[in-house]
Amino acid sequence: MRHIFALIVVGTLGLGLFYTLSHIPFGKGLSEVSKYYVENAIDKNDPHAGATNIVTDIVVLYRGFDTLGEVTVLFLAATGLSVFFFGLKKKEYTCEPSLIVKRGTGIIFPFILLLGVYIFVHGHLTPGGGFPGGVIIATGVLLIYLCCRDYKAPHSLFKVIEGSMGTLFVIVGLIGLIVGGSFLFNFLGAGKTGELVSAGIIPILYIVIGLKVGAELSGLVKDTMEDV
Amino acid sequence: MIDYILIPLVLVMFASAISVIFIKDLIVAVIVTAVVDLITVVLFFFLQAPDVAITQASIVVGLTTFIFVVAIMRTTRKEEE
Amino acid sequence: MIILNVIRVYAGYFFLIIGSLFLFLGPLGILRFPDVYNRLQAGTKSTTLGAISALFGIGLLEPGWLGKIVILILFILLTNPVSSHAIGRSAYRSKVPLCGKSVVDKCEEEHIYKEAK
Repeated sequence: MRHIFALIVVGTLGLGLFYTLSHIPFGKGLSEVSKYYVENAIDKNDPHAGATNIVTDIVVLYRGFDTLGEVTVLFLAATGLSVFFFGLKKKEYTCEPSLIVKRGTGIIFPFILLLGVYIFVHGHLTPGGGFPGGVIIATGVLLIYLCCRDYKAPHSLFKVIEGSMGTLFVIVGLIGLIVGGSFLFNFLGAGKTGELVSAGIIPILYIVIGLKVGAELSGLVKDTMEDV
Repeated sequence: MIDYILIPLVLVMFASAISVIFIKDLIVAVIVTAVVDLITVVLFFFLQAPDVAITQASIVVGLTTFIFVVAIMRTTRKEEE
Repeated sequence: MIILNVIRVYAGYFFLIIGSLFLFLGPLGILRFPDVYNRLQAGTKSTTLGAISALFGIGLLEPGWLGKIVILILFILLTNPVSSHAIGRSAYRSKVPLCGKSVVDKCEEEHIYKEAK
């Protein structure tokens, strides 16, 4: 009975989504805001949009305020999950992890950190950016937890990084507000597109987001893998 | 050509998404959900959105599956009748 | 020089075919083998060899990518056996039975996992 009910609910939702989406004119002309993005970011009329990818320009520069909101939502979600896991005892492990897993983790862990840092430092040149880089760093922390039973992650360090990076995001935005008249104005200019040091504040913001998301999700991994 | 290769993938995705409802073992259900998300990663990649694909792969397939598995480990594994 | 190039291209195709053969045999083994441990053999060992030789074939066809491909091969060589070992060990620890036709269980003989049984 429950399965049939669930199928009916899912089917109704799917039909509704299909009906709604089939009425949106995808690919037929540009709306006002897409025209603005195309003229400024793709044709490079805007001297401040310097990323190689239009999505990066939109996400970090034009919609940077939304990204700040997303980071805040992620913080709230991590906090809520920690509250959810508070008091739930985890199961006792019956054995130690084997030597092969420990050795393999020891070899692979620095490279995972390196990959995460690479992804958010090159956020304005390659696909990726702050969020995937931070999650990859958190995955490395999870790997350490899986191979060392009594590992304690430095929670105070995570808190310090997270708080200072959130503050830094707002400070960069406020500097833009003072210099250029709008929040998250690219006050450094675009530079030469395609170089590592270019695109103004986009790399700074992506490093900030990457460190913040990495610290947040590492704290979440710590909360879920340890008994509070 | 690539569209015809994607059709079996989408069919597998449909089948896994429907079979999640009928699976009693919650860990198996989480893994099948991860299969659905993994196929979405491939679809995003072929729709020329590599950044969305990377984000989907790391966050949805990796982290969400981990959180589900930990939550199931701390509560009960089998669904009650 | 042209002959060397021809040899390189055909060697690349050869490695690609070997790799795709092994990548095909892996899922076939997962379907055909009776229990977890045999399937783990098929699912990880053949895909390790298949992925490595397919990548090496691509590296021979496009020599500019050879550096990156060597790094990828090292990564696969490092991670794939470790993860398959972890899966097999945890399956043995959680008392997944061997299939009925198996003749030897070295772990039980040598009392390595005595408390697990």
